[in-house]
Amino acid sequence: MGRLGVLGCQAASLAALLVIWEIAVRTGLADPLFVPTPAAVAGALGSTLREALPRLGDTLLKTLAGYALAVGLGVAGGLAIGSRRLAHAVAMPYVVAAYGVPKILVLPWIALICGLGATTAVLTATLFAVFPILLMVAAGTRDVDPTLVTAAVSMGATRGQVSRKVLLPAVLPSVVAGMRVGVVFAMLGVLLAEMFAGTRGMGYLMQRMAMAFRAPDLFAATAVVSVLSIVVVLSLEHLSRRLSRWR
Amino acid sequence: MPDGVATAAPAPIVLDAIGKRYETTSGPVQAVDSVSLTVRREEFVSLLGPSGCGKSTVLGMIGGLVTPDAGRILLDGVRCAGPSPDKVALVFQDGGLFPWRTALDNVTFGLELRGMPAARRREIARGLLEPMGLSGFESKYPRELSGGMRQRVAIARALALDTPILLMDEPFGALDEQTRLLMGEWLVGIRRRTRKTVVFVTHSLQEAIALSDRIVVMTARPGRVKDVMDVALPFPRDLNAPEVTELRAKLWEQVREESLKAMGGRP
Amino acid sequence: MKVWVWRLGIAVAALGLWEAVAAPLNPLFYVRPTALPGALVAMWQVPELPPLAEHVWLTLREIGAAYLLAVAAGLWLGFLLGLRRTVGRVYEPLLAALYAVPSVVWYPSLMLFFGLGPASKIAFGVLLGFFPIVVSVLAGIRQVPETLVTVARSMGAGPWTVFHKVMLPAMASTMVGGLRAGLALSVVGVLVGEILGSRAGVGYVINYAYGLMMTREYAVLAVLVAAGVLALDLAGALAEARVKRWAG
Repeated sequence: MGRLGVLGCQAASLAALLVIWEIAVRTGLADPLFVPTPAAVAGALGSTLREALPRLGDTLLKTLAGYALAVGLGVAGGLAIGSRRLAHAVAMPYVVAAYGVPKILVLPWIALICGLGATTAVLTATLFAVFPILLMVAAGTRDVDPTLVTAAVSMGATRGQVSRKVLLPAVLPSVVAGMRVGVVFAMLGVLLAEMFAGTRGMGYLMQRMAMAFRAPDLFAATAVVSVLSIVVVLSLEHLSRRLSRWR
Repeated sequence: MPDGVATAAPAPIVLDAIGKRYETTSGPVQAVDSVSLTVRREEFVSLLGPSGCGKSTVLGMIGGLVTPDAGRILLDGVRCAGPSPDKVALVFQDGGLFPWRTALDNVTFGLELRGMPAARRREIARGLLEPMGLSGFESKYPRELSGGMRQRVAIARALALDTPILLMDEPFGALDEQTRLLMGEWLVGIRRRTRKTVVFVTHSLQEAIALSDRIVVMTARPGRVKDVMDVALPFPRDLNAPEVTELRAKLWEQVREESLKAMGGRP
Repeated sequence: MKVWVWRLGIAVAALGLWEAVAAPLNPLFYVRPTALPGALVAMWQVPELPPLAEHVWLTLREIGAAYLLAVAAGLWLGFLLGLRRTVGRVYEPLLAALYAVPSVVWYPSLMLFFGLGPASKIAFGVLLGFFPIVVSVLAGIRQVPETLVTVARSMGAGPWTVFHKVMLPAMASTMVGGLRAGLALSVVGVLVGEILGSRAGVGYVINYAYGLMMTREYAVLAVLVAAGVLALDLAGALAEARVKRWAG
């Protein structure tokens, strides 16, 4: 089946899903209070977007801030750990353990100290995103072919030249891969913080819609955030492919 | 100055009882033990021996990448204390090409480190790639090149540094037999044109005989010099000539003994 | 040897630093590590906190249910997409797109539909947990060496035999990794669900302690849950190692 055929099947399946969904609610199989019809969701889209837009911007800003912090910490930490054998052996169990602990456990404490504002959301985003980035960058740094470093040294490269001209380009694909994964985690952290302890942002809005049983609005909002996230990830993916042409 | 004795320039490479020991998890291992050798100007010397006999370590020491625990190394009479990119250029077994750089950018790397302006280094690089038959491949990445092409780029990169000494660590080891033979022929031509002093590590008798002026046979670990044989045959060498067959038989006798020891030493 | 010394050193230094930083600060916000064991003992008698035992039991049951459903759904979907080539080609990209969405966006809808009871937590746990399982089944199917299947077929094995005597063992180590990840994520899903909005369960108690600013009790709970999750993951790692040794 060619690409067009696959796309056609996907579109057809989605359409079929929407039809079945609409019928299910109309015939009373699903309670419209909990499950709105696709038509209702579409109708709510306009008003939801108007209500959501400023909050969406707020969420995105916080995501960006947390993400930037996480990338900085994660890349620096990953390079440091990955390039020194002792550091890697010593630090790894701690990093893996920290990665394995559900980070939501820390959220109440952050909220206690930093309150209900943007700081909590940004810090949570950083916390969630830094680990996958760090792990991927550390792994990428370890995997750099030692012959490449030896070759550069044999040609008279200084430490600085080795870092800039060999390690950095060799590690770049891992950094980009980590960054790609990190952005979803960062957004996750922000939304989570907003749902738990926020007064602004999309997470808080969605929580409020759920409590008020505004089903069509909630579904519309969920759709908006999902689409936004997919767009962000796809763009990063495209960017990473262009930077990794040589692989 | 007495007649008949000219002031000789110091030999390009002098190995004076060098040794190297490594600490492993199962105790210290003597990789190289008291190896002495003098390599004459424009000479092609092969280091031949079984796997693990320390020949790559010796090369690493000449290249200043490994520090000897014993003895010293003199390059042009000056003690070697680290990488000497103005005197020595290395070619590694799997090329060591930077995968994110094109063939051309790989060749210019050493010149880039020296701060040579871009136009000039590209010119030099192109000049090196052309006689290697890689003219159309300058902007290809290593993964787009065949094994033989990659090794030629690696050699071009080493030649770009324009050093008097070239060290090659089993550069054709990863290639198939046909390519190996062709690359050997091609290397002989390059060597004659560039007139470099070459130390060549290999475990192939064929290769050693085809390319070298002298062959140094090394023992199994700890690596010592077992024997040094002169190969006083003109180039290009006919590998079916009786002298070659005789030489190969003598070499094999030496190498076989050491290879068995190296294999027997394994669990 | 050196590595262990360094690791221990870091742990001791971190705890020491924590203690030193927290000691002079407001105990309402900053808990000293030395205060934790005392709080642990006191917690069982503190009347303000809801009875811990039944909440823990509820959470465990939610996790169990979520994981079982996640495994069932994950295995079913994974094999469906992996074994039926065309179905896989059509639906896998859709699944990958879903992976790009932060999972927590689904939770408000789940809460609206299932309410604040255990059902929404279980649903969220299933949603999070079934993903890595599907991915690992797909990856596992893909890395079965073609030659093994050919050998079996040449000896007359039928499709069911090929599946359970060749493919399953060949996929075992990849799949067990996914099952492990699925467990970890089911746990996270249930915990997040409870913390974000529930009337019972460990997450609820944590939220409760946070709300009353009972920081010491909250800290003890957080540490205990973290320890529990790590222990569970360790058990998973041991199980994975055993499977890997058997599968080769």
